[in-house]
Amino acid sequence: MPESMTDTTADLRAHLLQVIEHFEHVLPGQAAIREFVHHNTLHGFQQLPFPQALATAHRVTGAYGYLPEDQFRRYYHEGRITQEELESILNDDPELDSGNVLFTAESEPVQRRNILLAALIHPLKAVTGCQLNWQIEERDALRAFQPDISETSRSRLLAAAARHGLTTEAEAVDDLWTACLHALGLDHYILHPEELMDMSPEQAEKMLSRVLTDEEQRGTSAMVMDRLIDREADASMETMFGRLGHDLTLSGLLKALTGVDLMEAMQPQLVRYIGSFLDQGQAAWNAPDRDCGFYAVWRTSAAQDMAWVFEGLPDWKDSIEALPDAPLDAVVIELKWLGLAEEKWALYLERLALDLPGWSGMFLWRHLRPGYEGLEQVKVDMLDYLAVRLVLERLVAQRLCRERWNIEASIDVIRWYFRHHQAEFLVRDTVYNSHLPEYLVTLAQGLLNCSSLCNTDEEQWRHLAHMIWTWRQSPASDRPAGYNVYRSAWPLFRLAQHLGVCGADIRDLEGSTIEHIFACIDALDPERAGFIWLQAYELHYRDQLFNALVNNQERGRWKTRELRPEGQVVFCMDDREEGIRRHLEEHNPNIETLGAAGFFGVSINWRGLDDNKVTPLCPVVVTPSHEIRETPQAGQQTLAGQHRRRRRLRQHLSDLLHQETRRNLLRSALLILLAAPGALAVLTAKLLAPLQLGQLSDRLRIAFERAVPTRVDINASEDRPATPQQPRAGFTDAEQADRVLGFLRTIGLQKGFAPLVLLMGHGSSSQNNPHLAAYDCGACSGRHGGPNARVFAAMANRPEVRALLRARGCNIPAGTWFLGAEHNTCNEDIRWYDLDQLPAASRQYFEKLSNDLAVATSGSAHERARRLASAPRNPSPQHALRHMLGRAKDFSQARPELGHATNAAAIIGRRSVSQGAFFDRRVFLISYDPSQDPQGEVLEAILLAAGPVGAGINLEYYFSTANNDHYGCGSKVTHNVTGLFGVMEGAGSDLRTGLPKQMIEVHEAMRLQVIVEADIDILTRIYQRQPPLQELIGNGWLLLSAKDPDSESIHVFTPGKGFEPWRGNISELPTVARSADWYNGHTLPLTPALIKTVATHA
Amino acid sequence: MPKLAWLIPALPMLAAAWIGAVYVIAGNRGEALEKSTSRIATAAAALSLLLILVIDLLALVQGAPGQIDFGSWLSSGGYDIRLSFTLDTLSLSMATLVALLSLLTLRFSVNYMHREDGFQRFFMVLSLFMGAMLLLVMAGNAMLTFIGWELAGVSSYLLIAYTFDRPTATANATRALVTNRIGDASFIIAIVLSLFWLGSAEWPDILACGSDLETLKVGLMLSCFLLAALVKSAQVPFAPWIARALEGPTPSSAIFYGALMVHAGVYLIIRLAPLFELVPELMLLLAVFGAITALYGFLAGLVQTDTKSSLIFSTTGQVGLMFLECGLGWFSFAAWHLALHAAWRAYQFLNAPGLMHLMGRSNRPVPRWLQHRRWLYTASLQRFWLDNIANWLLIKPVRYLARDTQAFDQQVVNRLVGLPGSASVVSSLAQWEQVKVGESGRVVGDSGDVGRGSGVAGRLMEGIATLLQWFEEHLVLKGGDEGIFNLIQRLGRNLEKVELLLSQPRYLFLLILITLIVIL
Repeated sequence: MPESMTDTTADLRAHLLQVIEHFEHVLPGQAAIREFVHHNTLHGFQQLPFPQALATAHRVTGAYGYLPEDQFRRYYHEGRITQEELESILNDDPELDSGNVLFTAESEPVQRRNILLAALIHPLKAVTGCQLNWQIEERDALRAFQPDISETSRSRLLAAAARHGLTTEAEAVDDLWTACLHALGLDHYILHPEELMDMSPEQAEKMLSRVLTDEEQRGTSAMVMDRLIDREADASMETMFGRLGHDLTLSGLLKALTGVDLMEAMQPQLVRYIGSFLDQGQAAWNAPDRDCGFYAVWRTSAAQDMAWVFEGLPDWKDSIEALPDAPLDAVVIELKWLGLAEEKWALYLERLALDLPGWSGMFLWRHLRPGYEGLEQVKVDMLDYLAVRLVLERLVAQRLCRERWNIEASIDVIRWYFRHHQAEFLVRDTVYNSHLPEYLVTLAQGLLNCSSLCNTDEEQWRHLAHMIWTWRQSPASDRPAGYNVYRSAWPLFRLAQHLGVCGADIRDLEGSTIEHIFACIDALDPERAGFIWLQAYELHYRDQLFNALVNNQERGRWKTRELRPEGQVVFCMDDREEGIRRHLEEHNPNIETLGAAGFFGVSINWRGLDDNKVTPLCPVVVTPSHEIRETPQAGQQTLAGQHRRRRRLRQHLSDLLHQETRRNLLRSALLILLAAPGALAVLTAKLLAPLQLGQLSDRLRIAFERAVPTRVDINASEDRPATPQQPRAGFTDAEQADRVLGFLRTIGLQKGFAPLVLLMGHGSSSQNNPHLAAYDCGACSGRHGGPNARVFAAMANRPEVRALLRARGCNIPAGTWFLGAEHNTCNEDIRWYDLDQLPAASRQYFEKLSNDLAVATSGSAHERARRLASAPRNPSPQHALRHMLGRAKDFSQARPELGHATNAAAIIGRRSVSQGAFFDRRVFLISYDPSQDPQGEVLEAILLAAGPVGAGINLEYYFSTANNDHYGCGSKVTHNVTGLFGVMEGAGSDLRTGLPKQMIEVHEAMRLQVIVEADIDILTRIYQRQPPLQELIGNGWLLLSAKDPDSESIHVFTPGKGFEPWRGNISELPTVARSADWYNGHTLPLTPALIKTVATHA
Repeated sequence: MPKLAWLIPALPMLAAAWIGAVYVIAGNRGEALEKSTSRIATAAAALSLLLILVIDLLALVQGAPGQIDFGSWLSSGGYDIRLSFTLDTLSLSMATLVALLSLLTLRFSVNYMHREDGFQRFFMVLSLFMGAMLLLVMAGNAMLTFIGWELAGVSSYLLIAYTFDRPTATANATRALVTNRIGDASFIIAIVLSLFWLGSAEWPDILACGSDLETLKVGLMLSCFLLAALVKSAQVPFAPWIARALEGPTPSSAIFYGALMVHAGVYLIIRLAPLFELVPELMLLLAVFGAITALYGFLAGLVQTDTKSSLIFSTTGQVGLMFLECGLGWFSFAAWHLALHAAWRAYQFLNAPGLMHLMGRSNRPVPRWLQHRRWLYTASLQRFWLDNIANWLLIKPVRYLARDTQAFDQQVVNRLVGLPGSASVVSSLAQWEQVKVGESGRVVGDSGDVGRGSGVAGRLMEGIATLLQWFEEHLVLKGGDEGIFNLIQRLGRNLEKVELLLSQPRYLFLLILITLIVIL
């Protein structure tokens, strides 16, 4: 190694580590799948405003971030987006200058807005020659209106044409086409590309005179054409090589030149080696030297690998042996060898990592979490990954370059080769990177796939290059510069039809006006068009929502809680709980429901009775300082011991079946022979009667394992400070009082306590579902929130804590009892905790509340069934509930529940704002009482906690829906879990991140509308104080509005402008007696409605 | 009752045909047609199963019906191919298993494939597969078995390529199909041999041939069947195709590669058990292949980190054991092993997506002595390079051969028959420019012909005249040295090329092959 390199090693390492750190911004940051927590898919771009972030991500990763325009157009035609909404968005964008009048047709001004609207609503895309011929010949496009032209446009155009003496549709349309061509200075005739094979002298002469400038024509040099070709080849060569290290790697370059994707050779190798290296316990045999790092492991194996003997890489072994020991050196040497300028390294490596974003992302995730899952011996370093990737790429590129051109695979050499073979470059460039007519492709393939039998001399390449070049100059091709029939005349023709402008008006247009028209159409690039559509789509929903809130003003209950509720139930803020809350209140209006982040303010490391290790139950950003254990109740030690033994036995048997039957040979055979008859019976029962079998097996399991009565150890046994580094078991009394009071203050429950306050955590259970964690509680790091509810209730019931609370001014009546429970969002089951401790006095309230909840759960199941195509249509609530129970036990069910699909808004405020209205399970409901928070401190905390959680959920769903191929993970049906950390499609694809199609197919991709019931001054001050909120809201990742606590006025926050009053239309909402009356018989998203609540409070 | 046995494979096939027809007529209407599609497929499967169960019951009471003849299918000269079923204990139990597992998989797919674009396609192919497997196990002669064998292969191809927009899926499907062609060819040869030597392809006739035929002939025929079985059941060296077959939806992976099709080869061996027992050398071969595959599956299975691959290698290992058992003469044990293994794997494969949640702990690590066999680890991870060897031995040479042939076509044949190789007209502006500049005065109007003749004699004269003119121009007019020298040089270059080609192994191989074919 050169000495200078060792001197700068430290610098280089630091630089490369920086580069790697930056990967976090572009690679998917998804955790191992068992830890799945919703997060903003574009978290790395969050510092940018939303549209810029999407545009940047599109440029860097190639993934478009909006729904396809066709989808938006469908919404438009369904009335889900209206023309007024589009116009209002266009008006709001000063850059578009939509009020500007471009020209006047028949004394009617045509504004930029009209053109923009036409271009949004109707695709004005360029066509290819073949498509235009088809339009003309098959659809008679030059004699009849395009089918999507509206009646008004038709009649306007016909009327205008009639004034110019054209009476029929055919005449008017034909005249329009001629006018468009004339206005652009074009002529069009149908020319089949193959006619160029045998040109007539006139044709050739005509083209030649057009191609050559005067100067060139005067030039006497014999081969002007040759010079032109060389010039063009040089220019595109410069562009292509300039892209290296920018958005192209060596593989990309070679693919552009040969059509061979080197990834095909590398991917199986990479997937096997990385999979085996990162494996968390799926395989029995991993490399013994994983502590040396990936590069070393790979190098050892590569040196022993015999694949290369067969794959035509004879010097493989030497190359591997010559590699340096340190991955850093390897990276540097490879990059230098490649001949890439040092300032391009960072981007080149990023591009390299983006070739397999899923695997790279997982490698990076583990790189950032050393010792994850107790795998301390696996040293995961991103540098290792890059080194392997670079070496592998060089080796396979080498093979290709030698095979094709007998040269080395470095940038300079390849460039040198093509400098001397310009014609060949031109042919390759056009064949692989643009469209050619068939006759040219056939000829090109003949040359490109030539075997050693034929002479591929320069002359042949040159001849073909000339043919291609000639074709490109002909009217049959899509010449890049200037106006053109396919790219200009056709869109103009269609635009004129949509605007109802006749041929005469087009002929009158000046050149500059035409330029403006095209500038207007071009301004709507996919990014801008997507963003306009998205905003209009959001606007439509927002106005419906605001209208409902205004209509609901002074209707909702529990604004001041003057009457004591019969019961209070605190649910998670989760949008899925909106339904059950509404049903509960409909059934018994005397119950108050509240919502809060489902960890109820207690961050804990939880260790359940059967757990082997602790699990953090709190938002991902928090590291708990306290550990809470579930232990057998006093006197139950023997039972607990029995339970433990039996459980271990059952687990052992289960592992024997699930692990050993695929691990061994002879022992598996024996096990399979023994287990198969049972398996067959279970399989049959599972498929024919999943619910019954599920219930039976649950019963059997409990009977076998014995249920142990437990309690939670919430009290601190020692008195030392608790830190995230050294968590302490239990909370002290003061800590407990802090948490209870803090939480009650957050949800605004400091007075008017009901006799029973129920804390309802949630989780989800389903079978055969790799994405299980994605359905659980987001506020509990993708786990069940029941333990938090249980711990909170236990703390709040302690007399010591109550006394401390009383001292701090929070007087909880002695008759009030807190109870923890967990709602299963999949099968609607409710699991109660510590019922044995319920005082006799509270029992009657409990009986009543649990009956009410039973009704609410079946109501919730009933409402959910309407969105599930495979659920029974119009079932009774009981039937629906049974269906949901069965669904959770059905291992063939790829959609056990729909998760957060359709979430669209969050309301932070008293329940009175939203109570009594139907929000279709689309709204996060977070309790907050502005009247108890004059300074906005509580609100600040809520926004800081709920903002990122809500944005994480909403944006993950947004991106997975907008572009499931890139940001989501495709259909579950071909998924294959690998290494226990992710899913692939089939057995060797990239790791797929994001949400599967089955989770998002009914989702409506829009950003979260956050409506806060608070004074705008308080909100503004909080916004100005908090950089995280400025990032989320100021950059448009969340849309904020404020609802005045005392009136019905609503203000909308616009970044850069602040709050502005909402001036939408207020219209009357339908009122129904029950939610079911509104949603029955509907399967699609529903607009809000009001629900009559009849107070029966004594 | 057994007379209705033909309905058993026919019902699912009819269901497939029906779904296909609806698909063609009504198009892919997605969810709208899901219910009717899945109902028809499951109803047909359930009816089939019911029929089998009835026949099973009758067989329990009255004994197995044995060979059932429905009539003649093809008859030509001395050959008569029958439409017949063999309903003995083996085929009946296999058929029951096939029908039950297929029905369960169909049932699983109703929910699992809900809202998939390929829902109808999937159910059609799965029904076709079920019919094919039933035909395969119940057929009364090798010809009908072969039909089932092929249809199962085709449906496997169609489902590996279920997501045909992914290049990996289609490439792997093709690879699996092509690998299976080797076995199919061998199967056909076996059928031809049996028709040739025995005049019949009925299983009972084939099984009884031991007494009529010399051992060599029996051995030859059996080896062909054996090869077919080895490929279908993915035994070494053909094993890699099955690991590539996991691209399809989970239920299809379950039934094709976990449960049913992979066992077809074992079934064929068991069917031919009486004959194998006559040829101990082949029994030995069976055992050897089985043992190697079992080891291969076991070792490669240990390093697999994704669920489906891990299951498929384990399956390969178990099927290898079945071959080994057959080789040792334990045919009925192998049959039991087959049936139970099929049931278990169906269960396990259908559970594959949730396996990670069913596992209480990580997989038990291999013992230390094995752990540190670094070379063996690499070999297992690279699946003992079977794929690479196949690429090197077969795929690459064939590809080059194809390329050479194409070049030969273009350079020699096209010129000989006079198809336009390269245009001699103006097809680029550069040519036109040349014409204008006048560097080449021969492009327009002067094609180099001396004169034009018509009719045979005329053409002949024209040809001779042109030849003479050419001779004059090139050898005489251009001056002896230049013309002749060029010609000789060109000849020399071409000869060099031929020599170069002949030195390539593929041509050596081809020559040897041709020689062998000629001699035989």
